[in-house]
Amino acid sequence: MLRVMIVDNDLERTKPLKQSLLDTGYEVVAHLKDTVNLDSACCEFRPDIVIIDTDSPSRDTLENICVMTMHDPRPIMMFTHDDDKEQMKLATKAGVCAYVVGSIPNERLRPVIDAAVARFEEFKDLRDALNEANTKLSERKVIERAKGLIMKQRNIDEDEAYTLLRNMAMQKHIRIGKLSEQIIEAAKLLL
Amino acid sequence: MSTYDSTPDMNVKPVIENSNSVNNGRRDFFRTTAAGAFGAATVMGLVPKSISTQAYAAGSDAPEITEVKIGFIPLTDCAPIVVAAEMGFDKKYGIKITPSKEASWAAIRDKTVNGELHAAHVLYGLVYGVQLGIGGQQKDMAVLMTLNHNGQGITLANQLKDKGVKDGHSLKRLLDNENRDFTFAQTFPTGTHAMWLNYWLAANGINPVKDVKTIVVPPPQMVANMRIGNMDGYCVGEPWNARAIYDKVGYTVATSQDIWVDHPEKVLGTTAEFVAKNPNTSRAMIMAILDACRYIEATENRAKVAKLISGKAYVNAPEEVIAGRFIGDYDNGIGKKWKDPNFMKFFEDGKVNFPYLSDGMWFLTQHKRWGLLKADPDYLAVASKINQVKLYSEAASQLGISVPKDVMRTSKLMDGVVWDGKNPAAYAASFKIKA
Repeated sequence: MLRVMIVDNDLERTKPLKQSLLDTGYEVVAHLKDTVNLDSACCEFRPDIVIIDTDSPSRDTLENICVMTMHDPRPIMMFTHDDDKEQMKLATKAGVCAYVVGSIPNERLRPVIDAAVARFEEFKDLRDALNEANTKLSERKVIERAKGLIMKQRNIDEDEAYTLLRNMAMQKHIRIGKLSEQIIEAAKLLL
Repeated sequence: MSTYDSTPDMNVKPVIENSNSVNNGRRDFFRTTAAGAFGAATVMGLVPKSISTQAYAAGSDAPEITEVKIGFIPLTDCAPIVVAAEMGFDKKYGIKITPSKEASWAAIRDKTVNGELHAAHVLYGLVYGVQLGIGGQQKDMAVLMTLNHNGQGITLANQLKDKGVKDGHSLKRLLDNENRDFTFAQTFPTGTHAMWLNYWLAANGINPVKDVKTIVVPPPQMVANMRIGNMDGYCVGEPWNARAIYDKVGYTVATSQDIWVDHPEKVLGTTAEFVAKNPNTSRAMIMAILDACRYIEATENRAKVAKLISGKAYVNAPEEVIAGRFIGDYDNGIGKKWKDPNFMKFFEDGKVNFPYLSDGMWFLTQHKRWGLLKADPDYLAVASKINQVKLYSEAASQLGISVPKDVMRTSKLMDGVVWDGKNPAAYAASFKIKA
């Protein structure tokens, strides 16, 4: 049975990954936050695979363990096997990277990595959706402000101001939000 | 306790698109509006003259790609990248540099290797480690220029002060008398801090491989780790040694310039593939950053630069912690204050930036010494391949910066041993204390 260790500063995020690994019969020996004790955790739990966020600062700690055991009979390798660069790319793109101990055959390793990639992507989709929602929200605020500026400057009503904005945005082939931002920036200089 | 408490920004994805925490409101305005609804004439009227008149002459020298993303780690010596981008030195050479804050050296390496970053502020030794496939996949790498000399240090935890440790000799004595494991941290197995720490310990009779335990901790987390007693000492770049004193958890037992005056430190690194495909962009990057290095070197500009890089988007440390050692005002935290003439240097008329082959080779000799390399590589061939002497020389000449004639330089390190790049294999084998 493969021993998997999950390291993530957001434990909630990797909870589903942990569950799915457990369900498919892997042993999750540890699930920890990026902690100061990562080094001793590796010694204590002796995982075969460490799953970690690509952008975790603790990766350098794992690098050191890799290099220090490089010439031992059980070397630790970066990512997955050398012959599997595509998978490695996919994983990094999803924000996950795996440190693998020893020569684990690909068919045993693959499901773990696949599960991690799937879970990280799911999370990324959620985060992207949230970002998009936030952008839209702030865009609406910006448009309101620009509209207000135009109304005041030209002494027109809200509908007219919006029509002006929309027409200009269409002419310039940019979003109304973008145009509104520029109007506000310019107003800061000019008014 | 999580170390994140003291470094909250390391949790967020830190690519800097539009940082408002630093004083660049005007430039952002140009970026967002120049191509927008307002006429170019209006905008150009506001562009400082130095930029509009010194536009880079297009032609065969035109950069292949004009927008470059350069990775960095929050350290004082990331200044050349930040200054080149924030103060518009990049524009003079027809490129736009976007600094990208990264969380680890491993991330810097991977993103540079897979092309997500075009180049990076990176540890000298790390680039050589990747070239030789130490601990990961091999990839042909390139060093475009050296970014700085000096300005790193070794910090010991305050409890060692109570035991009378004030230098290497007294540390050795404590190690001999106290029967416990001593732990030291550095920043990356093949990096510069690992080599400074090892060299310093060994010069004091301590074998870094056999006598102590070595761990790796990311620079911004060093202080927090020391506070909870995770280590006895660490080697890292500033401002994280000054920060330990500021936070009253440790003191400086040695600076890196104590180990080697004017040692090479960070470089502007990329892949050989990137240089082959984008020689003009590479040259433009060197020129922009050389220009920035020249600017930073001037003492009168240092306070301004310290303020700029102290922002949350960059080093994220109090300005006062960066500013002192940045101009050579040192305080070791146990009563010694001095003006260090060998503080962090970025230019010195180009002497800092020239990619001396002997500098690159030195890291290989230490990789061999500490067992990261099993056999002697072809030292000179590797360094000649990685260090882009020709490209650098072209860039420097265009800026009227002198280029040294010899690709080797001679240095005497703290133990009196001289390194001149002439017989690397013999030099690597000459050390009594090794892996």
